[in-house]
This record gives sequence, C-alpha cells and structure tokens, in this order.
Amino acid sequence: MSIVYDEQQQAIARESRRVLDARVDKARLLGLLERTGEWDRTFWDTAIEQGWTALAVPEAQGGLGLGLIELGLVAQASGAATAGAPFLTSNYGAIRALAGLDGEAASHWLPKLASGEALAAIASAEGNAVLPSLPTVTFADGRLSGTKPAVTAGLSAHFAVVWASHGGEPALVLATLDGVARRAVDSFDNARLFADLDFADSPASLLATGDAARILALDILARQAVVTAHEQVGGAEALLFIARDYANERKAFGQPIGAFQSVKHRLAELYGLVEIARANAIHAASIEGQPGFVAAAAAARLTATEAYDTAARDAVQVHGGIGTTWESGLHLHMRRARSLAIEQGNMLFWEDILVDELAGASA
Amino acid sequence: MSEIETFRQRARAWLESVAPAFGKDALKGLSEAEHLAAGRAYQAAKFAAGFAGIHWDPELGGQGLTPLHKVVFEQEEMGFGMPIAYFGVSLGISVPVVLRFAQDRAWARERAIAALRGDEIWCQLFSEPSGGSDLAGLRTKVETEGNGWKLNGQKLWTTFAQHSDYGVIIARNDPKALKHKGLTFFWLDMKAPGVEVRPIKLAAAGHDHVNEVFFDDVRLDDGQRLSPVGGGFATAMATLMIERYSASDPAGFGPTTATFVDLAKISEINGRPAIADGRIRSAIARSHAMRAGLEAITTRAMRMMAAGMEPGPEGALNKLVSVRSRQKLSELAIDLMGQLGLAWDPLASSKDDWVASWLAAPTGRIAGGADEMLLNTIAEKILGLPQDHRPDKGVPFDQIPA
Repeated sequence: MSIVYDEQQQAIARESRRVLDARVDKARLLGLLERTGEWDRTFWDTAIEQGWTALAVPEAQGGLGLGLIELGLVAQASGAATAGAPFLTSNYGAIRALAGLDGEAASHWLPKLASGEALAAIASAEGNAVLPSLPTVTFADGRLSGTKPAVTAGLSAHFAVVWASHGGEPALVLATLDGVARRAVDSFDNARLFADLDFADSPASLLATGDAARILALDILARQAVVTAHEQVGGAEALLFIARDYANERKAFGQPIGAFQSVKHRLAELYGLVEIARANAIHAASIEGQPGFVAAAAAARLTATEAYDTAARDAVQVHGGIGTTWESGLHLHMRRARSLAIEQGNMLFWEDILVDELAGASA
Repeated sequence: MSEIETFRQRARAWLESVAPAFGKDALKGLSEAEHLAAGRAYQAAKFAAGFAGIHWDPELGGQGLTPLHKVVFEQEEMGFGMPIAYFGVSLGISVPVVLRFAQDRAWARERAIAALRGDEIWCQLFSEPSGGSDLAGLRTKVETEGNGWKLNGQKLWTTFAQHSDYGVIIARNDPKALKHKGLTFFWLDMKAPGVEVRPIKLAAAGHDHVNEVFFDDVRLDDGQRLSPVGGGFATAMATLMIERYSASDPAGFGPTTATFVDLAKISEINGRPAIADGRIRSAIARSHAMRAGLEAITTRAMRMMAAGMEPGPEGALNKLVSVRSRQKLSELAIDLMGQLGLAWDPLASSKDDWVASWLAAPTGRIAGGADEMLLNTIAEKILGLPQDHRPDKGVPFDQIPA
C-alpha cells in the first residue's frame, strides 16, 4: 500500500527533528556510554512534553489514538540524533499487548503509558533465541519464575510482557516488576538499560496461551520491529549526511575526498540502502494490522538493519582516523546500529520469519 | 473506485483479451521477421484500443491522459510478455524529441501517428566506439555542404536500427570547439543513401537488437536539424529526461523471487530440502526485502504523481539495484539446479528462465546508464558530491588527448 505523509504527519516529523536537534547533547550521550544503568532522562522528559508517549495509546485511555506511522516518524528523528530511550519501542509493544484487553490491567497501565509515568519492557528472548519455542521461564498459578537475559529497558521498566511456558505450552504474561531482582548488563550501548530479570514466584497474569500467544508475541515483535526500523533509517540517513558533508569538506591529493569515486560510490550505494529501507518502513507502517504485515515488517527490519550497519561501517571509513576517536561520536551510531540490530530480533530470526511467510511455515 | 483504478481494470481486461494473440506463449518459436510482425500488429491493436500514446496530446494521436496512467498501463502490460521492445526507444525517446524540436510540425505529427500505430520505428543514434557513457566524446562528423549538411562516421549499440525507418542523431559539427559545445542534433532517414546498418550478435540469447551504423557522406537538409548549431548536447540531455516516468521491475526484468522460491521448494542440497537450507533462505529473504523496498518506492512515487506532486529522486535506484540483484540470484538459481542448470534454450525469456536471465544480465547493467554512471549521478545530483576530476573540461575537442 505505502503512503505519502499527510500534513499532520509531516509536522510530526519536522517538529520532532527540530526539538531533538535543539536538545540532544553529544557530550551527555557520550557520558552515558561509560555509566552502566543510566539513561537519557532529558529525552524522556521531551517525549512526555511533546506528547510522543501518548501518540499510540487509544483515545479512550488518554492517548492520541495514532499508530505506527506517526510513532515511526518520532523514532526516525530519535534515531538520527542517537537520542531515544528503549521505552519508545517497548512501550509501544506493551500498548499493543494491552490494547485488546478490557480488564483492569489495561485501564491501569495504558493511561500511565500515555502520560509517560509507566515504562514497559518486552521480555521474549532467552539465550540467543529471539522467541524460543518453549521458554524456560515458567508461569503457573499466577506466579512467574525464571530468568530473562539482557532485557531491553529491563532495568527501569515498571512492568513487562513476558514470553513464558505454561503447562507445556507457550504463553504471554504480564508481570509487574516491583520486587523482581534485576542485574544491569554492562553493555557497549549502556543507555538501552539492558538487564537480566530474575522472576521468583513473581505475581503475573496471563494474556494468551498456545498458538494465540505465539501469534500475539510475533505481532508485538513485528510492530516493535517497524518502530525500530524507522529508528535505524533515521540513524543511517544521519550518518549518510555526516559522511557526505565530511567528504565535501576534507581535502586530500588536492581535491575534496568526495571527488574520488571510491568515496562517491560508497556513499551512493549507502543512499540506496537508506531509501530502500525507508520505503519498506513506510510501507510496513501503512499496513499495520493488515494481511501481509509480518512479511512487510520483516522486510523493513532486514533492510533497515543492513542500512544502519553499513552506514556505521562506511561513515567511519570515509572519516578515516578521526572517525575512530571517542570525540567524533560516530561510535554512538556504530554502537546503536548494533544494539538495535539485536533488539526486536536479529537478521537471522527475521530472515526465517520472512521465508516462512513467503514459502509456508512447513518449509 | 478511483478513476485510475478503473483505468487499470480496463487496461487489464483489454490485455487479457489480446494475450492469446500476442502474449509470451503466442510468441514462442517465432522467427525474427514473424516476431517483428507480431510486434507491429500488437502496437496497431494498442493504438486502435486507445492504449498507445497514453499521456500524449490527442492532437498528436495520443490519449491526453497523465504519465501516471501510462505507468499503470505499463505495469499491467509487463507480466504478459507482449512484443513491445521495438517501440521502447521509438515512442519513449525519439518521436517525443522530434515532436518537441522539429521545424515542420505537420510532418512531425504524421510521423507520430505512424509510430504510434507501429507502422514506423525510430531509433536513437547516440553511442559510438569512442563515446558511450562519455556521450560528448563522440566523433561522428557533420559538416555544412551547400545549404545542408554531410554526415560521416559510425554509431554503435543502436537499438533496433535494423528495423528503423528514422533516427535521431547527435554529431560533431566543430572539433575545434569545447567538447560539449561543438555538437548538433538532427533527425535522419535510415533508408537514405550512405547509411549502412550491421546487426551485432550479442553473447546473450534471442534475436539481435543492437547494431553498428555507418555513415558515408549522408546528406541532411538543414530542416532536419533539431538543435541550434553547436547546441546539440543540451538537446541530447533533454531527450534523456523525456521519459521520466516508466514502469520499473523490482526483479530487474528477470525472474521474480517467487520463481526462485518455487525452484528452492523442488530442489535438494546434499539430500536435504533446499528451502530449509540457511544459505538459500538468506538469499530469498534478502532478495525479497530489497525488491519489496523498490516496489514500495514505486508505489509511493505513483501516489505522489496521483496527488500532483513530483516523485522523489530515489526512483533512480530501480535499475541499478534490481539488475545487479537479478544477476546474482540467477547465478544462485543455476547453482541450485546443478548439472540440470547447464541446459540452454536460446529462445527462452529472461523473465522466467534463469539461464537466459543470467546471460542477458550484463546488458542490463550497461545499457541505459552503466552502474558506475548511475552511482556518479546519485552521488553528484542527489547527494551533492563533487564531479570527478575532468581533464577534458574547458579544452577544445581536438586537443583532448585521445
């Protein structure tokens, strides 16, 4: 389907870029890299002030009732600035997990997600498996036990949607994180708040079981993947422009290095990767919840990961030695490119999901 | 339903109705002459049904619709494998440039209608042995003679010159002027004395489609001139911009990813199903994801056109990215077939045969802008990077080291 952004959407894109340009401070972001367990609260204050936390929450629960297209635009601006907090994506996953429910949990958490008071985590992976067929974390009698490793946003989230086993079947459960033991993971991208979560008879409630749980878990993951794809496109495009500007300005052998085809072609190829990823991200956002969405999300995710990783590699290369310094800050993008490549499922996972969609899961 | 969707349905219905006569199955095994005749008959049927010159002025035999209608028709038409190749340059480039610049308007109108009906075919004589990507490096010479001109030299890679009635040509009128300044643009009668066309046999299968064209004292009237004297390069550039919007194929005019999936489903690797093999799965996923992106770029461009907006420059990626992908996927498909992949049917179509697709892929990466030129264009025109070092700039043509 794909879309052309309307005026309101263009305004969201413009405004989020403008606000983040003015407020993101590279020195502050560099400082966060060296401290485990801290994150960019200034960004979250901005997100609350700008209404980004409320964007995708249903209107009945105090939100604006918008969806992936609009949130994607904010994510793209955040990605460009290596700003952002993991909650931009994980809260969206939680909104989707809760939005279908009538119960107390939805009316308790959704308004808090809209106001930005509540932070959510989605805990699916175990070991290197993105969505293990039978997780070791188990749910029984309203209690959850076991460990989820390196959960994005895990260190500060108030509640989590957890992929667990329940009587020999997979299940999706909702757990508050009060009293759950957490260990911060010292990471190459610390601002993402990765933490191991140790559930020990922690109170939790069932959202779905069996096939329904798997479908819901994959749907949540796919929606988050599209938010992340926008963030990756924003980061990749920012790097493309940074490298382009440097290539125009830096001279060697009597001319700007951007006049050498080895540099020009590298950047032109990168432009291609960025535009293909952008088109896929827009298309996926425009068919959210419709047939073909998971395949579109997978395509968006694969091309966005390729674009951002390549941009990180090539932008540093175009800068030469200076690009490898701490001060240059290019490694903020390089680190983010890799952390985002893993969150929401790696390429290996999404390649398989996509081929299952194209060739049939029995393949 | 939107007006454009109604048009799409009408187009599809008509295409389905003529597919038994002109579709790819009907064309199998035809000789070169029979294939050309089928092409002309199909073009005539298109004209009669109101699907020729879709976005052209009705005064010139067109339908007066938008470029979007044209692209929609081309998208629908693509899957049928109709014999349209003969008219791509003719109607996409040569005739429109004649209509824009010809001095005799009534004559141009007559040619336009004959070309739309498939009665006449036009070629474009640009590339030469010493000027392909570097068009302005051309050496074909045009000199004043009496009140007209005299043409000598050679063109190369001229598509369907052997079937053409007319052509548009750029030649050098002043070798002492700067490289880009001494060129002039004309139209030419391909049956005129002194014009000799020699088809070139390509490595890829199928009927010959490119030619060498030699000119030996070919006489041109000044009325055949389509640019100011010495102003031909700008006209040539305008020519290349005429066909801004045309249907692209995310499969790079080769087989689709779905065709590859079908092959993987019936193949084994070391006794195990190929479709379960990680290498094959990765290739399928990456190829599909990239092509889906190109398709989304095209869809977005069409939506922008429908909204009266100018599509973004990212449409320029289509040919560059899709043909390379087709080339590599075709190699992998032949790998997957193993010994069975060694068989070759010279008349198979690139759209559904992996060997034919692989053999013809290099042409796709060179014709209509080599990959390297497209990358330069993206770098310079879209990203704003500097031009390459150009020792030929600002130097009279005859002083540029050959």
